[in-house]
Amino acid sequence: MSFSKKIKNGKFIITAEVAPPRGIEWKTVIESIEPLKGKVDAFNVTDNQRSMVRMSSLAMSKLLLDSGFEPIFQLTCRDRNRIALQSELLGAAALGIKNVCLMTGDFTTLGDQPDAKPVFDIDSIHLIQTAKKLESGVLLNGKELKGVPNFTVGAVYNPFAGPKVLQVWKLRKKIEAGAEFIQTQPVYDVRVAKDVHDLIESLGAIPIIGLLPIKSLKMANFMKKLNPTSIPNRLIEGLERANNPAQYGWDYVIDIAHAIAEFGKGIHFMLVGKTAELAAFIDYLRNNSPYNHKF
Amino acid sequence: MVVVRLKPLEEILETLKGFKRVFIFGCELGSSRCKNGGLKEAKNLGEELEKFGFKVTGIRSPGGTCVLERIASPERNLLKEAEESSDVILSLACGAGTQLIAENVDIPVLTGVSTIFIGAERKGKYFDEYCIACGDCIISKTGGICPVARCPKSLTAGPCGGAIDGKCEIDPSMPCIWYTIAQRLEKLNQPDVLLKLKTPMRDYRKSIYPRRFVVED
Ligand code: SF4
Ligand code: SF4
Repeated sequence: MSFSKKIKNGKFIITAEVAPPRGIEWKTVIESIEPLKGKVDAFNVTDNQRSMVRMSSLAMSKLLLDSGFEPIFQLTCRDRNRIALQSELLGAAALGIKNVCLMTGDFTTLGDQPDAKPVFDIDSIHLIQTAKKLESGVLLNGKELKGVPNFTVGAVYNPFAGPKVLQVWKLRKKIEAGAEFIQTQPVYDVRVAKDVHDLIESLGAIPIIGLLPIKSLKMANFMKKLNPTSIPNRLIEGLERANNPAQYGWDYVIDIAHAIAEFGKGIHFMLVGKTAELAAFIDYLRNNSPYNHKF
Repeated sequence: MVVVRLKPLEEILETLKGFKRVFIFGCELGSSRCKNGGLKEAKNLGEELEKFGFKVTGIRSPGGTCVLERIASPERNLLKEAEESSDVILSLACGAGTQLIAENVDIPVLTGVSTIFIGAERKGKYFDEYCIACGDCIISKTGGICPVARCPKSLTAGPCGGAIDGKCEIDPSMPCIWYTIAQRLEKLNQPDVLLKLKTPMRDYRKSIYPRRFVVED
């Protein structure tokens, strides 16, 4: 079943993230996710993530599609004005790429070309409105399209950002604008996952909860610095005590994934290092878990 | 106020290469307030230039170098004075003032400053960028605080996902302006103002430069 069908039918969703290469060697990227073929429902293809230049997200999405994977084309407002954004969305649709995840994007100075001009002509809410406008058969300026696209539109939410009331306000506007699914920043606490799930669902979209396995104490501390409230002390303590922190970090996240499979609608793996393990976990969820009916 | 930053002496010396008689303009509005191009800085710079063998022919710092009448009136024509006495004019006024001088004299005009922003001043020491002259002011709806100029992404529909702990994702030494806006509206007991705020795509025709403003008769 396609990603969009699953979204529409309320099936449990499993997505993962894949970054285009720095360069043009895309085959190794495809090879690295081969074990997840037919298991992960769709792959988010990042758009020059953290403002670091990579191969185009649209091109990589198409290469994924051609290689038998379903892409979610990520598109940000950092590098393109509304003319370019409409054009990219139309291009994606023409190439058969239906799923899009639309966001504002990281700021230019955080990346490896800090001297670039930041664009931010429109924001994530506007970009969602733009995709919906195109679906209605016209450009933003009202001019009629020859051939009308049809997207499955997603957006993102960071449960640890603030001020809370404004973040929720913004989330609501994204969903009102037409976001059908919301992928979140990584969560390390089942209660947080449940709250975020409930919030997104109550606003009318499919929550896909972000999960990023922690590989080391160093990584956990780095994440804590970025997002202080996202990493619970218990995770830090566990990593300190563990003989094999990478395994501990993995098991920790899989436990949360388990819990989400029970109450939730979807999970989003943000780092696919352990592809074989992830594939095995997905097999278990589908075949042997008590929640296998959800898939 | 327009805030400027004095260029390093080496850079000024480099641009003045080949000239001898230098007339220095400062400005007693912006450049003077931020202590980077008023009369005092112009005088200091003049002394430095003399040490390097230049002849400083005059130093003037009108209250508003970007107003033609202030620099060239029949009673007090600073431009003429400069032009007749010097090979070159070095201006410490903002980009607008310096260009106004340049289009009204027949000798080269160089700048000794970079114009950095429109800002607010505190304690004569701190200058913060508060407005980018977007041409379509929205601050009546955002607690009198400007997210267009004070959010690096100019987000007008609420904070981005990098707004954590009250700090801006781009530079943690800055507040995320959306926290400031939210606090302000809470204090005013107007928490709903934002929630009702309509945030259409902005019309950038209002900020396409160069713009002209005409005072109506
Ligand atoms: S909204 Fe525009 S005009 Fe108003 S303060 Fe901000 S940048 Fe200046
Ligand atoms: S953290 Fe706040 S001020 Fe900084 S870019 Fe995001 S919304 Fe703008």
